[in-house]
Formats: sequence, C-alpha cells, structure tokens
Amino acid sequence: MINIPILLIFLPVVTSILVYLFKWKHMNIVVLGSQLILTILAAIYFGHFYGQFEHTHLVLGGWDHRIGISLANDELSMSFIFLSIFTWWMVLAYTFKYGKTDHTFLFFLVFLQGVFLGLLQSNDLFNLFVFLELTTIIVTILIAYKKRGESFRAAIYYILLNTSGVLLFLIGIILIYFTFGTINIVYLHETLTPGDDTMVLRLSYILLMAGISVKSALFPVFTWLPKAHGAAQSAISALLSGLVVKGGIYLFFRMNFLYDNVGIHYGDFFYWVGALTAVVGVMFALSQKDIKQILAFHTVSQIGIIMMGLSSSDANTFYGGVLHTFNHAFFKSLLFLGAGVIIQVYRTKKVTEIRGVMRSMPVVSVFMIIGMLSITGAPFFNGFISKSIIKYGIEDSTIRYWILFAVNIGTATSFIKMSQIFFGPRTVSYPIKNMAQNFALFGFALGCITLGNFYIPFTESFFGIAYDQEFIHVGAFIDYAVTLGLGFMLYHFVISKDYKPIQNIRNFKLSFESANYVFIIYIVVMVTYFIWL
Amino acid sequence: MSRRLFLIAMLGVLFVVFTLSMIELESLYNNYGMRYFLNEGFDDTGSRNLVTAILLDYRLFDSLFEAGILLIAVSGVIWISKHDVEEKNAQFMLDKYKTPDLFVTFSRLVYPLMLAFGFYVIINGHVSPGGGFQGGAIVATAILILYYIDGNKETNIGLIVTIEKIIYLLIILLASLSFFTRGEFFTNFFVPSANPDLKAIYLVLLNVFIGFKVALGLWTIFTAFLKEGR
Amino acid sequence: MNPILTFIVILIGFYGLSTSDNIIKSVFCVTIIESGVILLFLNLGNFEGGAIPILNDHLVDIVDPLPQALMITTIVIGSTVTALSLMLCIKIFHHYGTVEWAEVLRREDVKS
Repeated sequence: MINIPILLIFLPVVTSILVYLFKWKHMNIVVLGSQLILTILAAIYFGHFYGQFEHTHLVLGGWDHRIGISLANDELSMSFIFLSIFTWWMVLAYTFKYGKTDHTFLFFLVFLQGVFLGLLQSNDLFNLFVFLELTTIIVTILIAYKKRGESFRAAIYYILLNTSGVLLFLIGIILIYFTFGTINIVYLHETLTPGDDTMVLRLSYILLMAGISVKSALFPVFTWLPKAHGAAQSAISALLSGLVVKGGIYLFFRMNFLYDNVGIHYGDFFYWVGALTAVVGVMFALSQKDIKQILAFHTVSQIGIIMMGLSSSDANTFYGGVLHTFNHAFFKSLLFLGAGVIIQVYRTKKVTEIRGVMRSMPVVSVFMIIGMLSITGAPFFNGFISKSIIKYGIEDSTIRYWILFAVNIGTATSFIKMSQIFFGPRTVSYPIKNMAQNFALFGFALGCITLGNFYIPFTESFFGIAYDQEFIHVGAFIDYAVTLGLGFMLYHFVISKDYKPIQNIRNFKLSFESANYVFIIYIVVMVTYFIWL
Repeated sequence: MSRRLFLIAMLGVLFVVFTLSMIELESLYNNYGMRYFLNEGFDDTGSRNLVTAILLDYRLFDSLFEAGILLIAVSGVIWISKHDVEEKNAQFMLDKYKTPDLFVTFSRLVYPLMLAFGFYVIINGHVSPGGGFQGGAIVATAILILYYIDGNKETNIGLIVTIEKIIYLLIILLASLSFFTRGEFFTNFFVPSANPDLKAIYLVLLNVFIGFKVALGLWTIFTAFLKEGR
Repeated sequence: MNPILTFIVILIGFYGLSTSDNIIKSVFCVTIIESGVILLFLNLGNFEGGAIPILNDHLVDIVDPLPQALMITTIVIGSTVTALSLMLCIKIFHHYGTVEWAEVLRREDVKS
C-alpha cells in the first residue's frame, strides 16, 4: 500500500516507452487503460491513508531518512495528483485521434505525466531539481513540436531562461546541504528553528525562490510564458497553462513549508509581486489580438491572483489561493481547448477575423461561454468562489482590495473583447465529427460548474477548511454587474479604439538579454528585502 | 554603457552577499552525510567506490531519472532534427571538409584502446573511479571517432533507439527487483548483510546496463547532429 | 580553489546572459553557469588533504562523496540541455538565416 507512489510515477513512464517501442495503431487505448489503473490506484491510496498522511513517508531502499531519497504525500499533494490525472484524461481524450498516428507525441505526453506526478510527491530537494529539469526538457520538446520558426524561438527562450533559474535553485540546495547535512524536506521542516535564521539560510531561500519564480512565471520573469503557450499546440497549451505552470506554484508552498519554523516573513513581498504580475498580465492581455496570446497573458494575471491569495498568513485566504489554482486549471484548460477547436476550423488566430462561432458551432460556444463566465468570476461558477475568498481575505487593506477589483475589470474587458467572436453570421460549416474533443470540453466545463457550486465538500476533505460563509447574495450579483459594466465601458471607449499606447504595449517584446537583466535585478531586490531589511 | 555598469553593480551585490554567507558557512558546516558514508557506505552497499554506492544504491531513484533525461533528449533531438518543412538556409558543413589523413590514421590506432578503456571503467565502477555514466561517455566517444575515419558511415538510428529504450526498461526492472527479494524498492536485491562479492554482481550488472544506455544515447544524439538535414 | 572564485564563474555566466545578443552565446553562458555550479558544489565538499572517496583497507579522511554523485547527475542534465538547445539553434538558423535574438524577432515580424 505504501509503495503506490512509485507505481504512480513509473506506470506512465513505462507505458510511454511501450508506446514508443510498439507504435501500434491502438496504442492510445492501452494508454487510456493505464490511465484507468492509475486513477484507481490513486483513489485506493487516498482512501487508505485519508486522515493519517504522516504515515506516507516512504524512504526508497529503506535507508536512513536523512540519506536516502524519500517520497511523501499529504492532502495538498493528493489533491494536485487528482487534478493532474483528471487533466491528463481530458488532454488524452482531446488528442485521441491525433495519438493514433503520432506515437512520438503520445510518448512525450505520457512521460510528462509520470515526471509531473514525481515532482508532486518527491520529498528530496535534489530529486525535485531532477524532476524540474526533466519537466523543462519535455516541455521544450512539446513546445517545439510543431516545428515552426516561432515555436523554435519560443522553445529556446523557454529552455535557456528556465535552466538558468533552475540552476539557481540548485545553488540553494547546495547551501542547505552543507548547512544541515541533509536535503529531506520533512526532516528539515521539523528540525529548523528560529535559531537557524542565518544569512546562509536566507540566501538559500532567496535562490530557491528565484528558481521557483521563473518556473511559475512571476512578475519580472513571466516573458517566456506567453511566447511558449502561444506557440504550442492547443492541447499542449491547455496542459501547460492549466497544470505544468502550477508545478512552480506547488513548489512555492512546498518550499515555504520547509522554512515554516524559521519565521521568514515573505507575505508582503510576494503579495506585491503577485499584484504586479496580475496587473501587468492584464495590461498585456488587453492589448493583444491573437486569441491564444490573450489566453496566455491571462494565465500570467491569474497566477498573480493566486499569489495574492497564497502570500496571506491567514489559512482561509491561503487555501483560497490554492482553490484558485484548481479553478484556474479547469477554466483555462477549457478555454484553450475550445480556442483550439475554433482555430482548427477558422484557420486564423485573430480575434478580429473570427465571427459567427455561435451559429456555426453552438456546442463549443456554450462551453467557451462557461469558461469565460468562470474566469470573469460570475456567481455559480468556480472562479467566483476563489476570487471571493481572496477578496474577503484582503478586504482590510483598501489598496489591495482595489488592485484586485481593477484586475477583475481588466479580465472582464478582455473577455468582452473576445466574446465578439460569437456574434455575426455563420461563415464556416462545422459538422461535429470529433466527439472525443467535445467530451474533453464537457469534462472541464463540468469541473467548472461542480467546483463553483459544491466547493465545500472539496475543500473540507482536501484542505480541512470549511468555508461556511455564504458567497452568493445580492451584493455579489451587483458586484459582478458593476464589473461587467465598467469592463464594457472600458472596452467600448478605450480598447476598441486601439490607441497608440495600446499598440505600443502590443508590440513591446522583452528580448532575452533584457529578461535576464530583469531577472538579476529581481534577485537583488529579493536580497535587499530578505537580508538587509 | 550605464546599463552594463549597473549590471556589474548588481552582480557585485550578489557577490558580496555570497562572500559573507560563505564566511558564515564555515562555522555552520555540517558533515553528517560524509561521516555516514565513510562509516556505513561499504557495509551497506558493497561498493568500495562511494560515489557509485550513492549513484546505484542510496540515490538510485535519481539515477533512473538521470537516464530518463537522456532518453527524452535522444527522442527530442531526433524529432527536432527531422524536417518535413521548407528550410532554405540549410548548409552542410561536413560535405565540404575532408578529415586530415594523420587524424584518420591515429584514430584507427586509438579507437580500440578507447573502447577497451571505456569497458574497463564501466565494469570496475564499484572498486575504482568510474561507473556507468562515465564509462558510457567514453565508449560513445570511441564510437564517434569512427565517423572521422569514415564520414559516410551509415547508421540505423531507429534500431539504436529501440535498443536504448529496451535497456532503459531493463534498468527499471533490475532496480525494482529488490522489491521482490527484500520488499524495498530501488536498492540491491541482495540483503545488506550479504557477502560484498555477491552484492558486486548487482552493481556490475547495473553499471553495464547504464553504460550501454548512455553510450547508445550519446551516439544517437551525435548522429542526429551529423545527419541533420539529410 | 575557493568557493568564492567559483561564484565569480557563475556571475560571469549571468553577465554574459544579460549582455549577449547571440543565441549560441546564450547557450554557452548557460553552460558556464552550470560549470560554475558544479565547481561550487565540489569545492564546498572538498577540504585540504581529503582523499578520494574510494575506501581502502586503512581508514583515511575522505572528501564528501555525495556532491560528486549529485554532480554526475547535473553534468548529464547539463549536456542534454546543451544538446537540445544547440539543435534548436540549428533549426532557428535554418528558418531565419540568423542566430541573433533581435534579428530573428525582426524577421518574424516581417513574415507575419
């Protein structure tokens, strides 16, 4: 029973290699079969250890836990495991037809699942580094998979920036190893005391956080994300935006768990980093015209909102941020997959050129509208719940409240802009022949609505927090209506006119040198904040 | 210019912080790991080379994924190097230059020696410096010299990649054998109290597998670069 | 060698990353950073008079074997990253006819 985590990691890995070796026509059925076994195993494991996750600490090889590599799970990692298994189900369904012929693609896709599940469960810092690098490499290949010029450029930008970030993460690990003689996260969490609060420890914290900031696309170093997610295939974009970026967010709270007892006050700093990420992401999203670029920049801004929640010391708000991670995974994957279908039919990515989606593909548009309502925070949809939790958590500070409100208005504006694709006469014919794609969209849409209405059992069983507050009341509807109204005005009077500054923002591209320059400034700011202040 | 000066100032700040923490680290230095490996390493794993002991026993899980990274990179490089789209700027260096005769002659002399040395390093990884990864790299270099001797050498990449994948599956299988004999994943399948000579069987086998996997992987990557665009 | 000197190697890599406008140079800068990190780890695990971590019959002071084992992993990871990025460089050259970051960007805008 305790060995199930190993199976969770190696089942997809071995399956993917078999796919590569046999290249059989019905290999995707085999993949779905292994996915089913994976789901059952994870469910059994969760049922068995529910309520006593401190017993899941598994040292591979049975060595001393300070020496060997160990895997450990808790409620949070289990919830992420279920999220990733669900996302892979849907992405595999979406690419079902494609996977029949292209086995190399299926190989990378399924291998990535094993690696990602390993990243979630690993309890060893160096092992985390290995998994991080492995994720980076597979994601690079998946980004470059279409073999267009722009995807090659996005891929090399991604791999170089992320590798330099992850190498800083490694220096942090080195410093921890030589100070404590071990790199076991749970052990370090238990032994670290406020007395250990030295400069070496702070420096290691800063370096770990620098690596994580790049991986999770925080404010100054988010520039790789829109390029990469815009250039990849839609299924891959959905996977990257929905889930793989969350690997960085997951590491953020794993690392803060490690330093829990030292008493580093990171809240304020990461609140402002998150706020800047959200504002800048929305600003760029408003100026874009490419449908995938809009969605990719919204991933940046939603990550900012997640960080605003996660940086809070209040447990309710913190788990609001975690919940938003889940909600974002659902609605962003839904939007990317829906956009993928639309792009496939219309053969263009320009928002201004796509018209009449509602008439030509009604089913897809309903799902897209569900996704848009979720991301803008409409009541009864999942984005609303987590945004409300975060909003109530930061209500005491006026300026923080208004920043969140402004970001919400920006989000509403940009999706009002995007919703113009639905109107207009029917221009293309779209017979529904790929049921698997619609099934994937349906799965994510169902997730959005379910989490929006029945979030209490979910948060109770996974995070141990019951939100007894009633979020849906008249004020919420008025709030949403005001947001939409202001958003519409902003769109009608400013954005749709396409003024010169907006064009400038659209054409602004941070070069690779400058991205690194900004990254170094970011590290120095962190050094100044955490060591000298 | 001011941009670069500012950058140097920023890096200077990082340098100062790092230097200060290095001075601090001297008093904090903790060598628990080193003492553990010195006292227990040989008895636990049966390997005189402690680096091999860590790679193949204490942290075998890492090594599995280290080999996995190579596996992914091989498939990735091959996939990216194939082109089915119009690429107009492709030029092929190797067609223009001929390898010097002196180099070819010496390569022929050195090639068997390198191959033998690579195998030596792989097989003796548990008693002397070396191991699967290092030896595999040497063997791969030896094979690559063949391309200098005969530039038109044909290689069946598909076959090599298939063998490489099968060897990776064998490595995973060998690593998890211990679960069936001892109930623990990813360690030696002989119990820790067994005779070191017996334990060495496992170490040599795993080193040989890893060595072959690394050699084949590097060979394929190099071939992909060489044949790129043909 | 001193750990502080190896940190200078890492900083040189970062200086190169934030000033060079050539993709190949950027790849090499990442390699330089990686070499710096490897040297740093090995240096911190080392001490004067420490023997290699291979046990003989007589007990001697050995250096810490863990950094050496971990660095083999890092070297393998680094070599794959280099191989992949160089292959991407070749492809970018084939598509755009240049390996300058700014020039690639400009030619992409012309295309679209």
